[in-house]
Amino acid sequence: MPNQSASLDSLLKALADPTRRAVVERLALGPAAMSELARPFDMALPSFLQHLKVLEASGLVDSQKTGRVRTYRLKTEALAPVETWLSRQRRLWETRLDQFDAYIVNLKGIQKDA
Amino acid sequence: MHEPFVLDINPELDLVLDRVVPVPLDYVWMAWTTADHLKKFFVPRPWEIADIELDVRPGGIFRTTMRSPEGQEFPNAGCYLEVLPKRRLTWTSGLQAGFRPSPPDPAGFHFTAILSLYPQGESTRYQAIALHTRPEDRVAHEDMGFEHGWGTVVDQMVELYGK
Repeated sequence: MPNQSASLDSLLKALADPTRRAVVERLALGPAAMSELARPFDMALPSFLQHLKVLEASGLVDSQKTGRVRTYRLKTEALAPVETWLSRQRRLWETRLDQFDAYIVNLKGIQKDA
Repeated sequence: MHEPFVLDINPELDLVLDRVVPVPLDYVWMAWTTADHLKKFFVPRPWEIADIELDVRPGGIFRTTMRSPEGQEFPNAGCYLEVLPKRRLTWTSGLQAGFRPSPPDPAGFHFTAILSLYPQGESTRYQAIALHTRPEDRVAHEDMGFEHGWGTVVDQMVELYGK
């Protein structure tokens, strides 16, 4: 089947880092301010911000600034490409094998009759 | 003679399908290794195989052109890695004919497919395995301490949010 978007690629890349996964897991509980997200990590703030940027670029999270506080939120719809890709692969193979089973049983029947 | 390679299946990324057909093994092998047969079942209908080339030996080409119902054509090519007659057939999109490495896939996913056949009297049990690129292989060494698969995270999120 024709292939998937770059968005899936960036999504998987975003999820392939332990810090970013921890942020995602925290945001799965609800939106949080940047300072709160950074607190559990022993990391310089610019490095941490870099991780947030990767997450935002992947479409997995977005942020909003109110006054001096930037709040991050998980975009649940962003996971759709992952599910779509995996389920598409499964559907392709299941259909292929369904068609194979039907074809081969029929072929055997034809060759027996001949 | 070497021992068969033990496959490391990741259920979040790979597919394992196990089936039995009431047809002797010779038929099953023939259908998967003959272009005229393969093109009849290989792509989900109403898609079609517009063109096909199989050179069934290690390093030989496995090429299909799929045609959508709208007439758009999508070429795919790879090569066979292993051909154990009537036992196992392995091919990949990650290498081209003659084992030349493939260009990166636009979505970053190559596959290796392994078809294993087991005679069961007049029937055949067959197992199709599709291995896919691990997303963590595509990031730098920063992630050596990878603890749990991204699938776990996805599962948790799906659980938390429903579909």
